[in-house]
Amino acid sequence: MTKLLELRGLCKRFGGLVATDALDLVIAPGEIHALIGPNGAGKTTVIGQVAGELRPDAGSIHLAGADITRLSIPARVRAGLTRSFQVTSLLPQSSALENVAIVEQLRQGHSFRFWRDAGGDPARTGPARAMLERVGLAARADIPAEDLAHGEQRQLELAMALATQPRLLLLDEPMAGLGPTESAAMTALLAGLKGQVAMLLVEHDMDAVFALADRVTVLLHGRAIACDTPASIRANPAVRDAYLGEA
Amino acid sequence: MADTKRQAMVLGVCLALMVALPAIAAWTARPDFVTLGSQIAVLAIAAAGLDLLIGRTGLPSFGHAAWFGLGGYAVGIMAVHAGDGSLPGWVTQAWFAWPAAVLVAALAALVIGALCLRTGGVSFIMITLAFAQMFYFLFVALSAYGGDDGLGMRRRNAVPGIGPRDDVAFYYVCLVALVGVLFLLRRIARSRFGLVLDGIRQNERRMMAIGLAPYRYKLAAFVISAAIAGLAGALHVNLFRFASPDLLHWTMSGELMVMVVLGGIGTVVGPVFGAAAMVLLHNFLAQWTEHWMIVMGPILVGVVLLARAGIWGAIGGRR
Amino acid sequence: MTLLLEQLLNGLQYGVMLFLMAAGLTLVFGIMGLINLAHGSLYMVGAYAAAWVQQRTGSFLAGLAAGLSAAAVLGMALEAAILRRLYGRDHLDQVLATFGIILFSNEAVAILFGRQPMMAGPPPWLAGAVEIVPGVPYPVYRLAIIVVGMAVAAGLYGLIAHTRIGMLVRAGATHREMVGALGVRIGLLFTAVFGLGALLAGLAGALTGPLLSVQVGMGERILITTFVVIVIGGLGSVRGALAGAMLVGMVDTLTRAFLPGALREVMAASDADALGAGLSSMAVFILMAAVLLWRPRGLFPAHG
Repeated sequence: MTKLLELRGLCKRFGGLVATDALDLVIAPGEIHALIGPNGAGKTTVIGQVAGELRPDAGSIHLAGADITRLSIPARVRAGLTRSFQVTSLLPQSSALENVAIVEQLRQGHSFRFWRDAGGDPARTGPARAMLERVGLAARADIPAEDLAHGEQRQLELAMALATQPRLLLLDEPMAGLGPTESAAMTALLAGLKGQVAMLLVEHDMDAVFALADRVTVLLHGRAIACDTPASIRANPAVRDAYLGEA
Repeated sequence: MADTKRQAMVLGVCLALMVALPAIAAWTARPDFVTLGSQIAVLAIAAAGLDLLIGRTGLPSFGHAAWFGLGGYAVGIMAVHAGDGSLPGWVTQAWFAWPAAVLVAALAALVIGALCLRTGGVSFIMITLAFAQMFYFLFVALSAYGGDDGLGMRRRNAVPGIGPRDDVAFYYVCLVALVGVLFLLRRIARSRFGLVLDGIRQNERRMMAIGLAPYRYKLAAFVISAAIAGLAGALHVNLFRFASPDLLHWTMSGELMVMVVLGGIGTVVGPVFGAAAMVLLHNFLAQWTEHWMIVMGPILVGVVLLARAGIWGAIGGRR
Repeated sequence: MTLLLEQLLNGLQYGVMLFLMAAGLTLVFGIMGLINLAHGSLYMVGAYAAAWVQQRTGSFLAGLAAGLSAAAVLGMALEAAILRRLYGRDHLDQVLATFGIILFSNEAVAILFGRQPMMAGPPPWLAGAVEIVPGVPYPVYRLAIIVVGMAVAAGLYGLIAHTRIGMLVRAGATHREMVGALGVRIGLLFTAVFGLGALLAGLAGALTGPLLSVQVGMGERILITTFVVIVIGGLGSVRGALAGAMLVGMVDTLTRAFLPGALREVMAASDADALGAGLSSMAVFILMAAVLLWRPRGLFPAHG
């Protein structure tokens, strides 16, 4: 199996607290890999390090063989690694269409263009509209992002991340705050991407995890205590003790 | 949403007024109206340039006066050297002097901005303030160019077809420059570059997460805004034929910021209203009491806490 | 040699004054996230109150007490009335609103006391000079300032490092939201911190009044230098404020003392003096630029 993402011995400490403890992880191209664990297990810290917001204290991160441990966030995006945020982080005053259009604009190259009107430029808005269709937001294209319903904002979150045309998506709790219908819709959306985009998915919603994931890593106190297919994980006694409990 | 119809109407009326100003001044036998108008136009240019930075990009700079003053002194110093023969006479021609002033301001901003932007966050305000004050002290120290007393300029930079003492013609030059700058800023605001700046203002973290390396864009905005201030400075020194270190003092930076916020931050046209309001307040209130500034403080606090959208926003029916 | 010693002490004294200003400002920034331009106005209020009371009562200590109280009370009133609404807001809004406060207070002081500088002198029991080293007389008053300043610095260190309040201050400087979440009466903490900062600014003003002239606009001059100190030292860090203040105090004083003389070797006297004065004024900014090139977040930044 070729490795799209590889974490080798990743370590992160905050003062006396060990958040990530010699973590090894491998994700193949097109694989959906879920990262689960109780609160405080260190899942967000892992995402932070892979995304580039946190600098690991030890270990390394490799994308398609290249060492990206020291790479800046924008450089990682250009290399094909994009994250979405757990707490929705959009351009609140811009319309949904504009939010995606600017991602498309950045993907197309530099933005040192000072003269032409960009808002009406079909090179930006065309692909943006198509992306909104894909996530089911086409009807709400012209609404300012801050006026969208929470579920729609999560859809827009995903649309923006997808618009960077990543090879690997880091999804930080995409179901956060969604009701059952919306969660099912989001799960279907992500399922539709299977095989096209690899994903490292942090989620608490177990239905979604078991529906989507090809493999699951269980994190406890910053270390991986198990890494296997969803069915095996569900049956694993150590995981049950530590995390799934009564589930 | 702003009432754009009403805004457009008000804009039209104001433009007509500004074009007709010299005629009004002649009719009311108040030639000082023309000077006032020129002053408003010039400061509006500086404020509009500042708004690109603080309103559109969200970078609060407290050092804008530095570029304003540098542009002004560039013009003044060149005139001095043309006068004593150390520089050729054509440096006082407007076609050379004004772009030169812009270039001086832009280059200085490139160096200082490159340093200030490395730090980011709240330090940015303090650092821009500090560096601008450094330039103030520099010009105070240059006794060869007047130091604290300032530097006079014998005649305005030569503009073809316009007499050096023709105040009305110079007023129209300033007005044309203002309209030109506003037009340019409007195009920039709507361009890909402008949208990136706006994205940085709204959510820089997200912009980085979708692949933007913000530093270059912020630096470009910083330099463009400084270049515009440099032009305004050159025009200001031409208007009054005098340059002084006060042009670079941090209180000047503060006044420019007030113009932007009072007029309507983040709108292309707002700063013009802010500049007009400040200049008119300065002139008319000051005739009544020397302590008119005491009103300015509470007005500012009031605008910040209650009426953030400024004058232009109020015209459009927003607070 | 004697000149050098004298100037070193002057630098120390200036540094100590800058520390009093910077400590309050950096704490307020670190804990409340508030940029407060009006900090200089509190310094001015301290100076004016002290000078005015000293002139009326003849007592320096009464003046000092008045300066401290006036600044502290005014500071807390400002915090309650206006600044409280600015926490969590855009830094631009904070800058503009506090700029408005400066404009107002400068004019108010001008109306109350006029624009002429108010003279105040050191009290008789602190006047004169003393020989710190045989043959080197140094003003007693300046020595007193150094002693008071160092005592305050030590007291502040004790407060922050060894008391519960200090612990909250340290925690608040690094993790504002956490402190609130722990159920601490955050509003009270903020007002107390602001009051402390105002008190220190007032103290600085009251102490410096007899040395410099007490006049409108004195606050802004020291405010900008205080900003430089904080940027060099690192935002939110009292230790950084001390380091920055000492550095800035020394660099500023020593360049002003020795640069014009050095320039006279190579140019005419009047040019040397003007250029020397100007370059000395620029020196601390160049220092700031150098520090930022090397450490963009300052020498001792508080984390978080």
